[in-house]
Amino acid sequence: MNDRRDALVGVVILAALVVITLGTLWLQGVMVPGERVDVEAAFSDVGMIQPGAGVKFRGVQIGRIRTVEVDESGEFVRVVMRIDAEVRLPDDAVVVLSPESMFGDWQAEIQAPGRFSEARFTRIDEEGVLPGYALPDISELTAAADEISDNLASLTERVGIAFSEETAQNIASLVANVEEVTTRLADLVDQQAASFTEVTDGVQAAVDEIGGAASQAQRSFAGIDSLLVRGNVETSLMNLETISSNLAALTGELDDTNEDIRNLVLQVDSTFARVDRVMTEVEEGDGSLARLLRDPTLAGELEAAAAELTLLLEDIRENPRRYLRLSIF
Amino acid sequence: MTRVLLAPFTLLGQGSVRLMSGLGSWGRLVGDSIRALRHLDVWVPLLVGQMRRVGADSVPIALFIAMFTGIVLALQASYTFTGAIPLYFVGVLVGKTMMLELGPVLTGLALSGRVGANISAELGTMRVTEQIDALETLAYPPLAYLVVPRVLAGIVMFPLVTALAIAVGITSGWLTSLALLDMTTHEFVRGLTLFFETFDVWFALIKATSFGFVVTSIGCYFGFHTRGGAEGVGRSTTRAVVVSSMVILVLDAFWAVTLL
Repeated sequence: MNDRRDALVGVVILAALVVITLGTLWLQGVMVPGERVDVEAAFSDVGMIQPGAGVKFRGVQIGRIRTVEVDESGEFVRVVMRIDAEVRLPDDAVVVLSPESMFGDWQAEIQAPGRFSEARFTRIDEEGVLPGYALPDISELTAAADEISDNLASLTERVGIAFSEETAQNIASLVANVEEVTTRLADLVDQQAASFTEVTDGVQAAVDEIGGAASQAQRSFAGIDSLLVRGNVETSLMNLETISSNLAALTGELDDTNEDIRNLVLQVDSTFARVDRVMTEVEEGDGSLARLLRDPTLAGELEAAAAELTLLLEDIRENPRRYLRLSIF
Repeated sequence: MTRVLLAPFTLLGQGSVRLMSGLGSWGRLVGDSIRALRHLDVWVPLLVGQMRRVGADSVPIALFIAMFTGIVLALQASYTFTGAIPLYFVGVLVGKTMMLELGPVLTGLALSGRVGANISAELGTMRVTEQIDALETLAYPPLAYLVVPRVLAGIVMFPLVTALAIAVGITSGWLTSLALLDMTTHEFVRGLTLFFETFDVWFALIKATSFGFVVTSIGCYFGFHTRGGAEGVGRSTTRAVVVSSMVILVLDAFWAVTLL
């Protein structure tokens, strides 16, 4: 009885192990009947491809992605596909990774490069490794579409703003104004047409007069030429030279005169300075003259002394011997 | 008045102390059990029997739950995807959900009720009837005899039972898709394999292993610490189921955070 129970444990264990092993292998796509062969491809980017994703050739699933690994060099992604060995691939086969649906599942498709001739396939110098290219993710496409739609919306908004009702009215008003201005310009042109003719005639007459003046000037220049030819000018130039020398001599004399005048002015200026100084001293009461002017007693005494001096001189004149004695021996 | 105001803090403190004390006792039981692994002659003969009780005998209930889970998943997925998403995504949902979540968790919860309660009640009864004390008296290592084979059986058998449950759940979902959802086998398999990664299987097995460890060790802990006769046995059994179920959910979140 115990053996049977123990066997039950063994059965459960074996069954569970078998389920785990076979189930995992089956879900990985490893357990598929028929001979299989591994094919490698190189990609710069693999999008959302994952191990287990389907590999198709001409629309028919022939295998599954086995591994997706970045190469040791770090320059590309190496994808190993396990496919049916009986399928003969084209010599120039390429691998394109693309979304299988809109729900994030991707697939690898082996095909000739004609359909994607402009795609930038990743090619490496390694025999047996197929060139690969991953189509843009749906999210990238939607992002680009979103950007385009944003731009269109912005453009539409700006157009809407530019062509509002007010703008339309402004444009209509502008057109009306332009029309009015054009009409006025036409009238002005009509009115000015006659004036323009008159102006033209006047200009013609002025041109004729200018032509006559030019002829006259030409004749005058001819006379000047004849004068030059006759030598009158040379005589005149000699006279002018004489006059210039005379003027130079006169200028020298004037320079001397000016120098004398300048010295005289300096002397006068010095004299006036001294006078000014004397007058200042007189006003301030310094000196004998100032005292004479300010002191009436002194002036009186001076006047008296002058009178006495006058009397003395008269007395000397009348009686010289009283004051002068001459003796020779 | 003061006692009323302090009551919430007192309860919080007491609860924290009990929690930490329980964690410490459980940790000590686990540590002692690891040391008891050296008694090979004691636990090896008992291991197969415990594997049968913990694993083989639990297969029917686990498969039963998984089968109906797969059916319900397929139906609910088709109901949710109607019109908007291709029906082959039913295979994606059934496969991913059974492997990553429902297979391990539902199996763990079911086995916590069956195995955890069984272990707790058995050891609790031995404790209250002093059979464990008798073992200690006879110098027979009770941990090597009672705990080690049960915990090892849980660690080994839970992932296996879970793997079978996942397989049955996916199979029932596939059959439901064929019978009720007008899907083909190709469509279901396409969805099943579309986003499959080998890690999904490992994730399920890791979770199931951890669930087996906590269910059996918690059952042993509460059984070993049973007090109070038959009533105490019932209380320990209930606690073992409740705590192990809670720990399963916590571990489920933990593995999701750390491994996904």
